[in-house]
Amino acid sequence: MKKIYKSVIFIALSLILSSCEDVIDVDVNTAEPRLVIEASLDWEKGTTGSEQTIKLSMSSPYFSTDTDTSVTGALVTVTNMNSGSVYSFTDENNGSYSIDNFEPIIGNTYQLSVAYNGETYEATETLMEVSSINQINQSIEDGFDDELPEVNIYFDDPAEEENFYLVSFYEIGDMFPFFADVSDEFVNGNEVYYFFEKEEDEDSNMTPFEAGDTVEVKLYGISEQYYRFIRLLIEQYYNSGNPFASNAALIKGNCINLTNPDNYAYGYFRVTEVDIATYTFE
Amino acid sequence: MKHLSLIIVLFTSFMCLSQEKFSISGTITDATNGETLLGATVYLKNTNFGATTNEYGFFSLTAPKGDYGLVISYVGYQTFSQNIQLNADKKLDFELQESATSLDEVVIIAEESEVVSIKKPQMSVSKLNAQTIKEMPAVLGEVDVIKSIQMLPGVTSNGEGSAGFHVRGGAADQNLVLLDEAIIYNTSHFFGFFSVFNTDAIKNIKLYKGDIPAKFGGRVSSVLDVRQKDGNNKQFELNGGVGLISSRLTAESPIFKDKGSFLISGRASYAHLFMPLIEDVKDDKISFYDLNLKTNFELNKKNKLYLSGYFGRDVFNLSSLIENNYGNATGNLRWNHVISDKLFSNLSFIYSKYDYNIVLDFIELDWDADIVNYNIKYDLGYYVNNNLTLDFGVSALTYNVNPGEIHPSTETSSINALILDEKRAFEGAAYVSAEHKITEKLALNYGLRFSTFSRLGGQTMTNYINNQPVVYNSELDVYERGEVESETDYSKGESIKTFGNFEPRFGVSYQLNKASSIKASYTKSAQYLHLLSNTSSVTPLDVWTPSGQYIKPQISNQYALGYYKNFKENTFTLELETYFKQVDNRIDYIDGSDLIGNNNIETEILNGEARAYGLELLFRKNKGNFTGWLAYTLSKSEQRALGGNAGGPGINNGDWYNTYYDRTHDVSLTGSYKLNDKWRFSSNFVFQTGRPVTYPNGQYNYEGLSIATYANRNENRLPTYHRLDISATLTPKRKADRRWKGEWVFGIYNLYDRRNAASVGFNQNNQTGLNEASRISIFGRIPSVTYNFKF
Repeated sequence: MKKIYKSVIFIALSLILSSCEDVIDVDVNTAEPRLVIEASLDWEKGTTGSEQTIKLSMSSPYFSTDTDTSVTGALVTVTNMNSGSVYSFTDENNGSYSIDNFEPIIGNTYQLSVAYNGETYEATETLMEVSSINQINQSIEDGFDDELPEVNIYFDDPAEEENFYLVSFYEIGDMFPFFADVSDEFVNGNEVYYFFEKEEDEDSNMTPFEAGDTVEVKLYGISEQYYRFIRLLIEQYYNSGNPFASNAALIKGNCINLTNPDNYAYGYFRVTEVDIATYTFE
Repeated sequence: MKHLSLIIVLFTSFMCLSQEKFSISGTITDATNGETLLGATVYLKNTNFGATTNEYGFFSLTAPKGDYGLVISYVGYQTFSQNIQLNADKKLDFELQESATSLDEVVIIAEESEVVSIKKPQMSVSKLNAQTIKEMPAVLGEVDVIKSIQMLPGVTSNGEGSAGFHVRGGAADQNLVLLDEAIIYNTSHFFGFFSVFNTDAIKNIKLYKGDIPAKFGGRVSSVLDVRQKDGNNKQFELNGGVGLISSRLTAESPIFKDKGSFLISGRASYAHLFMPLIEDVKDDKISFYDLNLKTNFELNKKNKLYLSGYFGRDVFNLSSLIENNYGNATGNLRWNHVISDKLFSNLSFIYSKYDYNIVLDFIELDWDADIVNYNIKYDLGYYVNNNLTLDFGVSALTYNVNPGEIHPSTETSSINALILDEKRAFEGAAYVSAEHKITEKLALNYGLRFSTFSRLGGQTMTNYINNQPVVYNSELDVYERGEVESETDYSKGESIKTFGNFEPRFGVSYQLNKASSIKASYTKSAQYLHLLSNTSSVTPLDVWTPSGQYIKPQISNQYALGYYKNFKENTFTLELETYFKQVDNRIDYIDGSDLIGNNNIETEILNGEARAYGLELLFRKNKGNFTGWLAYTLSKSEQRALGGNAGGPGINNGDWYNTYYDRTHDVSLTGSYKLNDKWRFSSNFVFQTGRPVTYPNGQYNYEGLSIATYANRNENRLPTYHRLDISATLTPKRKADRRWKGEWVFGIYNLYDRRNAASVGFNQNNQTGLNEASRISIFGRIPSVTYNFKF
């Protein structure tokens, strides 16, 4: 809420006071590369969830255009701490490590282990349940701008516990999805509504939604710890340079290097349930 | 206690000197409008007996029996002299004539009076009067007190469009901003582009950067003492101006047959009137207004009442998406009472409030927050003899902080109501200070303030396991919220936590010769109220919070040393000061802290510390057709927060890091040249090191996005900031018998159109997917025109 408010203020002031934005060359420091663990075991509602992929890569200089930073030769396993089942992931030699017999169980705790370069990284997470998307529709008057169409989702937040969500909206054909973090702090026990709207932006060639556009919406149930991680990540990603946003800082995930704690890894090991809905604008 | 005994010894050693002496006391005012003159000098020719007027224009001077030539002087006014026979205590009021009466007159008051300033122990103070401020070129022609003081050494802004200011490496919330003694909690309009002070209603401002007199307390970095005009008590007067952003109108008039006067002044922006015409912003509204009021009534020669008030508001509506309004309201009723020729007193009842309201339509939420305080103060000035002046008094202040109430704004809203705990506190203080001339060359300024602060009940406090509201998670190397153990209910009368602090103040000046002196000072001060802000710019949403169980009062110790020299009979003055300031218990925010709507702020912060040091140079030309100054500051401002009770290394690994407002070099050049009676030209030049920021040091791919990685806080800097502004004032010739005086002010802000970075953002290009750095610059070259009038 605060984030939205502060970005809105900043955008508004920028508009009104005819401020300008331009791309400049900036010298930045370059840190030593670190291992990046993108271990997102997401169980889509209505599927078995047996097929899962974990990605390993290295971090690179900020302005680097080298896209191949994949890490091969690592040993990746996930253990169900409740049942003791061990799942070994197969190295696809392109940075991906996959499996097709994973068994997701709501509420169970899983442990990730990555052995790479003589060092072992470990992380633990619990599979969080998620409510179903009750409804997905479009509207004009709602959202930020009451002349632009937006897609809306509705879901029920359980009253008896704290819940955290990650929502992604992806218009088929776009370069990137859009992410939002949601906590039930102010909406506990209610039907929660969330929208996504696109504005005209010539610089980035972004156009508002129009008939025929298809949007894929994913609603993940996430742990509080992951919520804290992804909230910061999202805030920093979308608010870089906004003086009204919190200041950028190092965001550490949950992957601990047991061999050499200072050589921590970026990324996160999450285990979630996800509901996916698609909507085509009329 | 050591300090107190020193004071007593010093007092008694001078109390016992007695000869046949008489005193002259009275008030000094402006002859044309009856405004009291603050800091005017009264002295006896060819002697060392002299005094200056206090903030109510009152003076008291004591000298042995005899015949003297009495001289009264004030910069910008004709010097007045008169022979007097001092054979009894005398009560004399004086009126001074302005040395020139045109509207565009150049008046720059470098110090209260240059002759005395060398001798007086008070240092680290800057004074500007409204006229000086009005002459400086300003953004969009909006004359601005806060922007003007940033031209002084040791004072910086936090970037363009940020009204908070930073004094000697201190934070924005460490400045005590007073408008007629009432605390102003937010000094900005338009989210920081302009300040709340309407210069038409202001008489003068004084900024204490250090060596803060004992009568002030509650903030650790500076005091900005802004005094409103009393109102013309000779004749009706109308002042006003029409600018691009706002217009102003001020009416002043005598009332009760010269026994009193009043001033009412309004200022309002009107950009919103044109916004419907512009397609992009036709549904938006952004506006502000101010109302200043002051009236005074002289009951008799010894008693005078003053009533002053301020009310300001900002309104911000964006396509009915968000509605926001915020502002300050203050009031002050004062009673000046001259108890005797040597004893002056003032009793004040003060009220201040700051509040904001936000309605977010798209999520159907309504949010209110405010801070209210009441203050009773009794201050006395005792003019013991020519060598000793005492100031003493007491103050009682209550705070009521309502950090936020959230309500659903519609019946169908999915928002639940939430009311954050209201916080109450009481701050009491007593002080005594002396200005003491020891020899002709040596003078001292010493005082002691005792302050006490109680966080009061009427709320529930959370207790944490191991008394740790924040816990270090060593496994993940992050700080996390502590686990709640229990809750304690405190009833309204009960004190949750009480603090007490002795705050000694000490200053010394030694005159090297007729034209130069050295001074040194020490100030200790305590601050019990903190502004919660984890962003680099202060926003209207930031919430004040009182000290208590988990947040300790900030304590600062500042040491300063200065050298002062006058050249060519004060045509030029040089001030050179160096300082070291250290602040304990400066709160710092853990990475990823979330402050809004948080009832348990203690889970987001660590108690840290701050330090700042620097060198300031101010070279002024005070007389002639060309006046102005060069200010240069070389400084460093850092902070750190160790893990302490929470464990772990602390924020930023417990290392010292640059504060957001650290500026290594800061140069300000301001000048005004009077060509003739018709034209005057002014210019500002600013050059300063870029603001510390944190740039990424790498990237990685996550969820298909390029995520920037960061390391140490504020390791990088924005590009160097520099800018040149110019303005020209045209005063058309007018007939001598016409009362109407008008002037045109033409200005260009940022003449060479430097694109100063307000911030640099690091983003992924939506089309190419590549990372890029984009600079946001706020003010390009901005021309302006303003018309001012006086009737």
